[in-house]
Amino acid sequence: MKKQTMFLRMITASLLRRRSRMLVALLAIAVGATILSGLVTIYYDVPRQMGEQFRSYGANMIFTSSDSGKLTKSAIDKAVGSIKSSRVVGVAPYRYESVTVFERPVMAAGTDFEGVQKTSPYWRISGEWPSANGQALVGKETAETLALKAGDTVTLVYDLEGLPATADEASGGERKQNTRDFTVAGVLDTGGNEEKYIFISIGDMDALTGKSDVYDMAELSVSAAQDQLKSYVSTISAKVDGLSARMVKRVTQSENTVLSKLQALVLLVTVVVLLLTMICVATTMMAVVTERRREVGLRKALGASNRSIIYEFMGEGLLLGGIGGLIGSVCGFIFAQAVSMNVFNSSIQFHWLLIPVTILVSVLVTGLSCLLPVRSATEVDPALVLKGE
Amino acid sequence: MFFRMIKGALFRQKSKMIMIAVTIALGASLATAMLNIMLDVGDKVNQELKAYGANITVVPKESSVLNDLYALDEGEDASAHLKEEDLGKIKTIFWGFNIIDFSPFISTTVTAADGEAVKLNGAWFNHHLSLNTGEELDAGIHSLRSWWDVRSGQWIDEQKDGNENAVMVGAVYAERHRLATGDTITVSTANGSKALTVTGIFDAGGDEDEQLFTTVGNVQALSNNAGLIDSIEVSAITTPDNELARKAATKGPASLSPADYETWYCTAYVSSICYQIQEAIPDSVASPVRQVAESEGNILDKTQLLMVLITILSLFGSALGISNLVTASVMERSNEIGLLKAIGARDYSISGIVLTEIIITAIVGGVAGYFMGYGFAQIIGQTVFNASIEMKPMVIPLVAVLIVIVTLAGSIPAIRMLLRLRPAEVLHGR
Amino acid sequence: MSLLEIKNVSKIYGPLKALDNVNLTVENGEWLAIMGPSGSGKSTMMNIIGCMDKPSLGEVILDGVDIAKQSSKKLTEIRRDKIGLIFQQFHLVNYLTAVENVMVSQYYHSMPDEKEALEALERVGLADRAKHLPSQLSGGEQQRVCIARALINHPEIILADEPTGNLDEANENIVIDIFKQLHRQGTTLIVVTHDPEVAEVAQRTVALEHGRLVKEIINNNFEE
Repeated sequence: MKKQTMFLRMITASLLRRRSRMLVALLAIAVGATILSGLVTIYYDVPRQMGEQFRSYGANMIFTSSDSGKLTKSAIDKAVGSIKSSRVVGVAPYRYESVTVFERPVMAAGTDFEGVQKTSPYWRISGEWPSANGQALVGKETAETLALKAGDTVTLVYDLEGLPATADEASGGERKQNTRDFTVAGVLDTGGNEEKYIFISIGDMDALTGKSDVYDMAELSVSAAQDQLKSYVSTISAKVDGLSARMVKRVTQSENTVLSKLQALVLLVTVVVLLLTMICVATTMMAVVTERRREVGLRKALGASNRSIIYEFMGEGLLLGGIGGLIGSVCGFIFAQAVSMNVFNSSIQFHWLLIPVTILVSVLVTGLSCLLPVRSATEVDPALVLKGE
Repeated sequence: MFFRMIKGALFRQKSKMIMIAVTIALGASLATAMLNIMLDVGDKVNQELKAYGANITVVPKESSVLNDLYALDEGEDASAHLKEEDLGKIKTIFWGFNIIDFSPFISTTVTAADGEAVKLNGAWFNHHLSLNTGEELDAGIHSLRSWWDVRSGQWIDEQKDGNENAVMVGAVYAERHRLATGDTITVSTANGSKALTVTGIFDAGGDEDEQLFTTVGNVQALSNNAGLIDSIEVSAITTPDNELARKAATKGPASLSPADYETWYCTAYVSSICYQIQEAIPDSVASPVRQVAESEGNILDKTQLLMVLITILSLFGSALGISNLVTASVMERSNEIGLLKAIGARDYSISGIVLTEIIITAIVGGVAGYFMGYGFAQIIGQTVFNASIEMKPMVIPLVAVLIVIVTLAGSIPAIRMLLRLRPAEVLHGR
Repeated sequence: MSLLEIKNVSKIYGPLKALDNVNLTVENGEWLAIMGPSGSGKSTMMNIIGCMDKPSLGEVILDGVDIAKQSSKKLTEIRRDKIGLIFQQFHLVNYLTAVENVMVSQYYHSMPDEKEALEALERVGLADRAKHLPSQLSGGEQQRVCIARALINHPEIILADEPTGNLDEANENIVIDIFKQLHRQGTTLIVVTHDPEVAEVAQRTVALEHGRLVKEIINNNFEE
């Protein structure tokens, strides 16, 4: 029989036959490893996940025409195309036109409601989002002034020759006007300027005005950090003629501030938790090993050199650390996944590299915490250990 | 004798007991730190979220709804206003303490020297208020517009003399008109004209880049609105909305039962703060800025939930850490327990001795751990938020109960196992 | 040359002289019993012969090497190669089976060999208990495993410390029988004991008292 075989036989015997104590040690290591892999996964994934949450603040990039003209669909598409598609949360193009309702001037905005729901998730609607052409979303202030509520019908009048300068002129003169009826699908509450507008679909706007493919601006919600956005902005402005991209500083700057704080928080918490957990694991391992001083003495008395005793204990520790680390990586992943599902309703991104790292750290911590008590046990006279106690 | 034995064990097995105490202290400190951070993280993140600016706007009741749209008719300024002198009342509402910043706004369209029309806004920058409650406070857009990047020059310091005619210019406007800090621009309206000195050029990343900002007084004079303002932006610390808050917001506070109304009024929901501001400021309508108020709630909820889950994990970790070590260290004493049994000790007295020892150690470790945890929490608070973490008293009993349960859970099974062993086995064969 | 020569050995712990100028010679193949009440220095003597401790004064020459002058690493080697230890409390590794416990000794000495280990167990009459854990063995059986472990590397000296101290009479007799058998096969035996019955069966008995050798008895009834 080879020496290595006996070495392995001793180690496995120690692990398998001293079940209760080894379980204690294994449990400690596995918990430590779970915390390690779970928290590190969360730490790495939180900025991404939180970043997505911050998209609820709405658009963080806007496209406007660089030459105070209008934007075309193709320019917007081209610009959006230069952003990694997985990062684009939503795009909402806008076209503003002055219209009159009951002889009163109102600002109407044509947009893509599906896009708006993504770029402005904070919009509060009483009623429904418009889902078909012929439906309109009326801002709260305008709705109050015009005494409109969901379900009412509103007639938008678009003056093909521009808005009348005075009320007299509007009622008096013969004017070329386009008129369309809309059902009020919902009333919009944002607490901002949007409450003054009436929103209709782009198709309706094109039909109302008789002109298509003219946009004033587009709002984008992009899931990216400020620096990343900056580079997108400069690429787009350089690449797409007649379109200038700008960051919405209020959103990007604040997101940067808050997100970096949150990340720092999770980092520090991770560091503290890991530090304390590692020490806990180490003390448990030390207790488990210290218990075996007598065995160390016996092995020495049987003629084992210090080195071979340390090898054996380390071998055991490393095996334990490895198994515990593996269990912990899996449990940590499950924990991180559970956190992610609960908090963010989305699956976590797992870094496979974390498995070897977790195992390595568990092995190191276990090994080191075995080493100290074993070394001190080997330094004691075997005679004392065997006789004493 | 019982106490002598315990004393003996505690003092003679010093290193072992110290190790147990240290582990318990570590576990307790982890629990203390995490619980405190978890309980305080909402407030702290809420403070940070104030970076997004105001979450409530206050406008006059007979609002200038159509003013913006009719603004094409220049000079015809018949819209309603709020009174600047009422502003201090915002801090007197029930949740006044939660209002951390606010600023009045008034704007008018002025003509610059080149004949171009430009929007001139009046606001507080760092206005000093002495409230009749005795509270002192600096309010204004210096912090309400935290995202402004002042590219050259600096923020207007209202508290210094000589800044009455200072103006801050948006980056886009400044570039187009080649304005630099120190330049003077003359703006005029039908009501007169003023020479303003550029003290700072800012990049706001929005419409404001094309506008001018000066003190409230200048705009009031130019628009002939002495003592009046258009709107107020308020930044308040709020509690995320729940069912009750939503009900109050959609159906109005009047629809609530008296008990619900009480709860709603006494909770810092954005809707109840708005309601209270309306009560305090005559003829005003306060409404939440959904973009900020809604997202705030969302992010706060997520952060808190995240911290709760991390805390649960670390509590679980420290609980297992402690009970593991206690189990290991009780098992280690099989010899001693065997000996006690051999000399005729009853099971319960052995358990009593071992448990008392461990509980004493746990108390020592737990107390030390609480203070360590305090330290950790403060380190995290200071590093991340530049503010100390408030230590909630309720954490103390929580941690104490946790440690007692965990120590008992760790030691009782081990003791029972050892008691089952025959003394001879323990003493000899092993 | 004698196998073991102890010359003027003293061991001093602070004010206490555990051994006081002891002289003793053990020949190859001899069966020696060291007797004495507790505190007489028996254990110290055993530790010094077993290379687990060094004398404060004097020389201990084992197989031509003065162990008093060796490093502790060298002592470990000597112990491994020349000495087989048997303890009062058996000291088996409790998670290893009987045969594995024997193999541990082989492992530190040279190469573990299960067949040889099984043969050693057979010699002490435990062939059928080879796969049992110490906790499944009686005290006597455990001690026999210890003896098999001590024998396995063919040491120059078997050093037994109160080998029957924890055994009943029946097991005591089994152990003594094994010692007799070993002696017949030419193994050098040194048995430390306070039990006169165990001492009686040895070839020669020396008595220790307060660290001094006070008596030497040659057993005339010694049966070969």
